[in-house]
Amino acid sequence: MQKRLRVTHLLPGLLVVGVALVGLLTSGASVSQAATPPTTVPAATASATTATTTAPVAKVVLKSATSASSTIKYNLPPSSYIAPGQTLFELNCSSCHGVDASGTARAPNLQGLGPSTVDFWVSTGRMPLAVATAQPVQKPPRFDRKQTLQIVAFVNSLASTAPDYPSGIPTVNLSAGNLSEGNSLFVLNCAGCHTITGAGDALSNGFQAPSLHKIYPRQIAEAIRTGPTQMPHFGPGNLSNQQVTDIVKYVTTVIQHPVDQGGLGLGGIGPVAEGFIGLLFGVGGIMLVAFWLGDRK
Amino acid sequence: MTDHTDVTSGTDVVSGNGAPGGVPLAKFDDPHLQPYAKNARRAEMLIAALLLLGLAGFCAYGGLYWVGGQTQWEGVFGGVGFFAFGFGLSAWGKYLLPQGPFVEERHSLASTETEVEAMASAIEDRGKMVFYRRGFLGTILGAGAGVMGIVLAFPLLRSLGPPPRKTFDTTDWRAGSYLVDLDGNRIHKADLEVGGSLTVFPEGFAGSSASQTMLIRPGPTDVDIVTLPGRETWGPRGYLAYSKLCTHAGCPVGLYEEALQKLLCPCHQSLFNILTGANPVFGPAPRPLPQLPLMIDSAGFLVAQAGYDQPVGPGFWERS
Amino acid sequence: MSAITSRPGGRVRGRQSRRANKPDPVVAGVRWLDERLGVAKGGRTLLDKIFPDHWSFLLGEIALYSFVVLIATGIFLSLYFIPSAKELIYSGPYVPLRGARVSAAFESTVNLSFSVRSGLVIRQMHHWAADVFVGAIAVHMCRIFFTGAFRKPRELNWMIGITLLILALTNGFIGYSLPDDLVSGTGLRIMFSIVLSIPIVGSYLATFLFGGNFPGDGTIIPRLFIIHVLVVPLIILGLLGAHLGLLVRQKHTQFPGHGRTEKNVVGSPMYPTFIAKTTGFMFVTTGVLWALGGLAQINPIWQFGQYEPYKISYAVQPDWYMGWLDGALRIMPPISWTLWGHTIPFVILFPAVLFPGICFNLFYVWPFVEAKVTGDRAEHNLLDRPRDKPRRTAIGVASLAFFFTLFAASSTDVLANFFKISLNEVVWFYRFAVFIIPAAAGIFAYYLCLEMSGVPGIGRRKRAVVITRSAQGEYESVSTEPRPGDGEAELAPIPVPGRVDLNGDPEPVEAASSGVRRIPRR
Repeated sequence: MQKRLRVTHLLPGLLVVGVALVGLLTSGASVSQAATPPTTVPAATASATTATTTAPVAKVVLKSATSASSTIKYNLPPSSYIAPGQTLFELNCSSCHGVDASGTARAPNLQGLGPSTVDFWVSTGRMPLAVATAQPVQKPPRFDRKQTLQIVAFVNSLASTAPDYPSGIPTVNLSAGNLSEGNSLFVLNCAGCHTITGAGDALSNGFQAPSLHKIYPRQIAEAIRTGPTQMPHFGPGNLSNQQVTDIVKYVTTVIQHPVDQGGLGLGGIGPVAEGFIGLLFGVGGIMLVAFWLGDRK
Repeated sequence: MTDHTDVTSGTDVVSGNGAPGGVPLAKFDDPHLQPYAKNARRAEMLIAALLLLGLAGFCAYGGLYWVGGQTQWEGVFGGVGFFAFGFGLSAWGKYLLPQGPFVEERHSLASTETEVEAMASAIEDRGKMVFYRRGFLGTILGAGAGVMGIVLAFPLLRSLGPPPRKTFDTTDWRAGSYLVDLDGNRIHKADLEVGGSLTVFPEGFAGSSASQTMLIRPGPTDVDIVTLPGRETWGPRGYLAYSKLCTHAGCPVGLYEEALQKLLCPCHQSLFNILTGANPVFGPAPRPLPQLPLMIDSAGFLVAQAGYDQPVGPGFWERS
Repeated sequence: MSAITSRPGGRVRGRQSRRANKPDPVVAGVRWLDERLGVAKGGRTLLDKIFPDHWSFLLGEIALYSFVVLIATGIFLSLYFIPSAKELIYSGPYVPLRGARVSAAFESTVNLSFSVRSGLVIRQMHHWAADVFVGAIAVHMCRIFFTGAFRKPRELNWMIGITLLILALTNGFIGYSLPDDLVSGTGLRIMFSIVLSIPIVGSYLATFLFGGNFPGDGTIIPRLFIIHVLVVPLIILGLLGAHLGLLVRQKHTQFPGHGRTEKNVVGSPMYPTFIAKTTGFMFVTTGVLWALGGLAQINPIWQFGQYEPYKISYAVQPDWYMGWLDGALRIMPPISWTLWGHTIPFVILFPAVLFPGICFNLFYVWPFVEAKVTGDRAEHNLLDRPRDKPRRTAIGVASLAFFFTLFAASSTDVLANFFKISLNEVVWFYRFAVFIIPAAAGIFAYYLCLEMSGVPGIGRRKRAVVITRSAQGEYESVSTEPRPGDGEAELAPIPVPGRVDLNGDPEPVEAASSGVRRIPRR
């Protein structure tokens, strides 16, 4: 029986072309790019940075404290931040942590945990807690940098920092980091929970190892040194400042800017996503062509 | 060969004397020979466009290759090229060639009963001719073939590698083995904070698969941790050491969940409780992780009191 | 379609004798082959061979052409891959790995991905083709199962197909383990433990295969390589030849329909129609795989790094087609027996050894089980609609649901992370779901089939009915014309014509002395 060639019969072709276009747009490919791979890793900040926030603020001057090497400097906020910090703390944190941060039934004692701990939790937005869950998750921070440092200054003033926590807020000198060292350290110490591509995955009992794609160098160092929630606590005897710098450099360059030479990264979670795509677009796409090519009866 | 049965729609049959079967003939205006496409011209143009697109894709790929290539664009050009070309060719086959339908007769696969019996008898009778009153020879032949089969399996299997002997029962840990990290540095009692973890090996065997051990410091730094009876001295100054090989399928159990004091295996999600001798509390692991007895020497370095008291890793037949 | 008329004696002469001064090269060529191989008669049969046109008969071709792509791309890859675990220091273009100790296998694969022109697209094409190959075999197998194409006389072909599936799974697993990267090396560690769990011989087989306790002395990589590129492909090629050969010999099945009986095949002839369509389909398959190979990244081993036994990552699922075994391993309760000085780790032995063994054996014997249970031992060349065999369809749907659930169970951690549910709860869910979901799906499918069988014209587009009301209030319903393409007006099938008069003007033909009619040709 004679049939008109319908546009719908070209749907499989349009599907493939559509996927191709999407792939092009998202992979950012350009014709002029040669086959030889990038000889430098895609750039991240190469010099020492202080933390950046969304709201432009005057560069915050931190009081210099202990500094073991040129790789990481630990600094404290100025003592003038303590008073405004107390106000912020009373308004936002004391209902759970108590007016003197010594903890209640709902929230732990913050005294002696050091400035890095408080800075990590507040600047990643995990605190204040929106919903009581097994594990607070990263979300847009409620406070700007200055306010965060004020809260840090206040909590820090309540007790001296325990010896196994850093006594300041770290500033990582990324240019002193060694990429291959960072690679092997990351694989041995971090990939087991955060995955080798830093995509994050679920731990037991409702906890998770979060994705590492949206975290600043300072916060990486803070997490390593303070071990939030389920994360182990890596002190200087375990990972030296140089080693932490190496890891931070690796995470901020390779993990956060992966070399996806092969195209769409598919989330970096490996065969689960690949199988989905392979079956849906590979087998499914070709089956659509078969459906067009053959009879329906 | 097709039978020259009478067929419909204006075809004709040519037969030749002596030639096996006939050769059907059709007139040009037979509807079976007409293309499927209602508008053959339009179909031709579309197919031409597809084939041209394919051609363009191939050319583009070739050109891109010569200037150095780029993975994503190679995928686009090659993909579009092959896809359009193939689509056009299939469309040609579907829309422009005779639409049919055509028929072919099936001939019975099965032979007649007589032929089946003849075949079976041939096998049976001739086989009897071989072995009639020579059963003893047949037995020797069979025995030889059997032994041959068994013996030929030897080089296929045994030559491949060594037998296990005691390889699964021991590791490289001995009494007095210093704990070292991957770079070979000895571990001092002040190195790990509470809540810290590290992968350690016996000194001289850094990187060893069977000896890999998780060193964890879950407890207060001035207290010895007791996990089970008989292990009172195994956890000095807050340190515990367990084999890193999961007792399920051997993956490294590298996920130290500090707040829960559990070790999670990433492969199949077995969960081990560190404070009760790393016994499995969830998931498929059937046995606790073996614990390495630790002590601290006079200089403050961590040393193994002895090797593991049981085989590490997944279960096997000889494991008692 | 060209004509060959024949005379007694069998020698083809008709056309040549008319055009004595211009010998037809095609005739000459056919004669050359025929005098040496006797191809004319059998070849003619082959050219006339009929292939039914239903779309579901193309699914096996997807598998076939993925395999062709695998062979072609695989040959390319084997020209660059170095199957050796020997260590060297990486000094190539991927900066984060520079200075790292890697194996030659890993290094050659990274080199292929970054430094060889078109290397990455072909390497990824090879990997995508493997995923698609097994997927196509699965959907093809479903088609065979649900339409009853495995029945007599095709039980042998079914069994060959199951073997091909097993070989495809095996070769895929071995293939992605070759680059010696962190993720696939973890899979090899698990495979070692699986072999180890086999009672009595397990520890021997494991150390024989790997050359000692894991990771062995490094011989596993070259061993897997030769199995992957030589041993298994040869077996697959042989079985594939038998699979297609049986198809040619027994002829294809077909759905019941106009002019179709148990004793014929209706469709398109091999030459030129089927060849055109199938060659086009091969290019389409290649095109889709090529596009995937360039646009969708798969197995980026440079991000994973070299495998070492003390390294581990998370979200380390195997490739999709191994997911059913991985899921089974994850949800299995921790059962292990130690008796009289020996351990049987049932927790691994069952999900990874006994369970797939049982499954494949059930697949193998299914045609015979069904024949025995239904008592149907007749030869079948016409296919069933799935709804006409509700018990078989229900069992098939339940099996599919069972395997789907196991596949989903392989991604427990990814699901827990994505949906923000506790990992423990997800695992417990699948422990029950693996029984409940197949049962529910099977029962649902069974009753759906019964329902569909009871409704005439189900699944077909309905004809509109126009209801008019007369002035007196009487209602009248009138069926409208069926849409074009929906009606039953299909031509009756005819045998493949041997000769087509391309010129259009039927001319009176001259009769030759022996009764042969010659048709003039300009």
